[in-house]
Amino acid sequence: MRPGIRIAIDKIFTVVAGASVVCLCLVLVAVLGPMLWRGGSAVVFKGTVEFRQMQLVLFGRGDEDKIVAESKQAQIARAKIYSTIERFKGGIDSGNLIEKARQIYRQFGNDLRQTNMSAEDVAELRSVTRQIRDRLESAFASSNTAEVNESLAYVLNFKDDPRFKNTSAAGLIGLAEQYSKDIQGINLAERQRYYQEIRQVEDILVELLGPAPGAATPALMMNRFGATRWDLAQKLLGRLLWYEEWIKQGPEQPMIRRLTPRSQRFAGTEIEGLFTYIQQNLPEMLRPRPTFYWQYFIDDSTPGHYFGGVGPEILGTLLLTVLAMLFVVPFGVISAAYLVECASDNFVMRIIRMSINTLAGVPSIIFGLFGLAFFVLFFLPIFGAPSKGCILAASMTLAVLTLPVMIRASEEAIRAVPQTYKEASLALGASRFHTFVKVTLPAALPGILTGVILSLSRVAGETAPVLFTGAVALGPVPKSIFDPTRTLSYGSYDMAVGDKLAAMVPHNQFGMVVTLVLLILCLNTVAIILRSRVFKKLAGH
Amino acid sequence: MPAADSHRPLVLTPTEDIRGFLTLHLGRAALFLVTCTSVLAVFLIFLFVIREALPFLAKFSIKEFLTSTAWYPEAVTPKFGTLALLVGSGYVTVVSIIFAVPVGILAAVFLSDIVSMKIRNIIKPIIEILAAIPSVAYGFFAVMVLAPWMQQKFGFSTGTNALNASLVLAVMALPTIISVSEDSISAIGRELREASYGCGATRMETIFKVVIPAAHSGIIAGIVLGMMRAIGETMVVWMASGNAAQIPSPWWDLSQSVRTLTATIAGDMGETEKGSPHYRALFAAGLLLLVITLCLNMVSEYFLIRAKKAGGKH
Repeated sequence: MRPGIRIAIDKIFTVVAGASVVCLCLVLVAVLGPMLWRGGSAVVFKGTVEFRQMQLVLFGRGDEDKIVAESKQAQIARAKIYSTIERFKGGIDSGNLIEKARQIYRQFGNDLRQTNMSAEDVAELRSVTRQIRDRLESAFASSNTAEVNESLAYVLNFKDDPRFKNTSAAGLIGLAEQYSKDIQGINLAERQRYYQEIRQVEDILVELLGPAPGAATPALMMNRFGATRWDLAQKLLGRLLWYEEWIKQGPEQPMIRRLTPRSQRFAGTEIEGLFTYIQQNLPEMLRPRPTFYWQYFIDDSTPGHYFGGVGPEILGTLLLTVLAMLFVVPFGVISAAYLVECASDNFVMRIIRMSINTLAGVPSIIFGLFGLAFFVLFFLPIFGAPSKGCILAASMTLAVLTLPVMIRASEEAIRAVPQTYKEASLALGASRFHTFVKVTLPAALPGILTGVILSLSRVAGETAPVLFTGAVALGPVPKSIFDPTRTLSYGSYDMAVGDKLAAMVPHNQFGMVVTLVLLILCLNTVAIILRSRVFKKLAGH
Repeated sequence: MPAADSHRPLVLTPTEDIRGFLTLHLGRAALFLVTCTSVLAVFLIFLFVIREALPFLAKFSIKEFLTSTAWYPEAVTPKFGTLALLVGSGYVTVVSIIFAVPVGILAAVFLSDIVSMKIRNIIKPIIEILAAIPSVAYGFFAVMVLAPWMQQKFGFSTGTNALNASLVLAVMALPTIISVSEDSISAIGRELREASYGCGATRMETIFKVVIPAAHSGIIAGIVLGMMRAIGETMVVWMASGNAAQIPSPWWDLSQSVRTLTATIAGDMGETEKGSPHYRALFAAGLLLLVITLCLNMVSEYFLIRAKKAGGKH
């Protein structure tokens, strides 16, 4: 081959090898980027007045007077929506109107019985009223405008009838007057469709602005507040402004989505203008304001993961990791010390080393099985504790899992202490034990600490071993180490896959996993910095 | 030490001598016992997994357990065939290794032979961070980001499939492959490389014809360790592989859902009754997984020892 080609191939190889590393960096960015970006929005976002109300109700946070005043102002801006819809519904909700007419008729019948009119008069008045009622009902039920107008005209003939003056039957005439006003501009043939679609609009409005004023307080906490975040509000506004339809293209073909402006669906009615009003005045109604919700990291969440933060999860994760470290650090350091200081290369030592390597290679789910079979079903009952998943069992399982990591890190750290340190100490007459405790261990301590931090970060992220030994997706904050706990790792899994409610709050889904990743990255950064310092210090000697 | 002590003779009294002897040896014995915790842990893991699995292995045919593809644990006549799960585990592992090996070896070579120490010190932490991200976060990424993207981009019927799981597993196996390979490539001394350059070889020729053959044991060990990480991984495959217990057919179609041993254990264990055949079968599956990883572990040990010897020679 000619040298030129060989050099060219060599250059290409260099570029390809470099590209593989660049690819790694890109993968890191691709994994962390979207998570950090979307998870960050759980803490920094534009909170609406609903958010501040939620904080006040759930956590007693914020200035009550201010929030009440603010929500009053928001209600003023919202009032137009509710009144418009109320009026519109008055014209189309025939079932409701018929019911009203019947009620008035019944009331009138009762009233008649108490008057001192002759039986004949009463009978006549009754039949007239029944006729009025029937015509009114047919007007309410009919979708033919001419028919409706004719019926209404018949009813309105009785407007000035002295027999009905100041009786409850006048309500029937009032109803007719109101109705004739309401139906102006409504295409009666489409009344049924209007009725269904206005219900949709109302449902979206409840999600956007919270329950309508005067409505009963919903039982579920999540339904008591409207959109707490401006991005959520924007999404809901999109759903409000655009009517979504799935259209069949034909057999065996996927349906396609078609969006039409909702204002078109209500063309010619009073509602048509409402959408522009909402679009223009939404900031007025929700009053978004940049919010830094740092309490996300300490708040409990309710219901499910809908409102609130990841406080219990962080607490649970810390409890598990710290307990696991308490178990594993003494064993790890002593094992490492023995392996470095006392061990000779014989058969027993080879078995020990092999065990450590095997332990490091056991899949994490097997640790879960082991934790279930040993700690939960065997070990805890021996000491009279209830045989169920709990913090103690989970942290002991995690301790076993991280034992090889701890031993290897400590061993490396102890080995890195220069031989001259030990020799100097031994030469002064110190025993080997003294030398180790007073000289080697302090010198190796930063290295061991690095190992501890790395084990911590590994333990904090493990999910499979705690699945059956003490993690729950939702539950109260643990009172003792014999209770199960929520953890960030299991919570991340549950929010991504298990929890249907969580899919409605993507910022909380990402917020949970980002909290976990940030915790671990912080621990690792500390470990990396610590290690490079130790490396420099020991290299100096 | 108090001054009075200096007047004492250097020879110890018999009691002191015995006491010193005893403390030394008792102390050693105590340390030894603590060190044996790891052995005990491995022993207990095997003991308890086997103990829970044994009634199942005694009752059901082991041949059917290993060769049947029917995994219907909750049926009226339950069937516990793990072949589909085994194939699923192997499938995602092999595919992920196929993705990871070229990138991993190239990156290892790049770090050890091509770039300066300075850049290497920047890239190393990046690889460490990739290794530190917990598996559940990778799984989260696979489900929430990668799956919708794949579904949209490639028109797959489901975004959680073998390709998704394999890609993410490849990323998770990469740090192991890179760091172990890089260690063994770095351990090959300058002499070999310089001899090659001296013969007029380019850098690429040196790497492919001299360095990699010399370091092959370490590289294989790295790949096997990466495989171990992939086959034992639970959360990612549970979340991203789609969990359909089937043997992929046609075999090259990566857009199908598969189900692995680990995901089955993790997914089913929560719903079984303690002591039921299903529960025992899951422990048997765990035992199978344990045996597989143990074998892989031995292979990697073998190659690591060889790599150490090869590195030591130069």
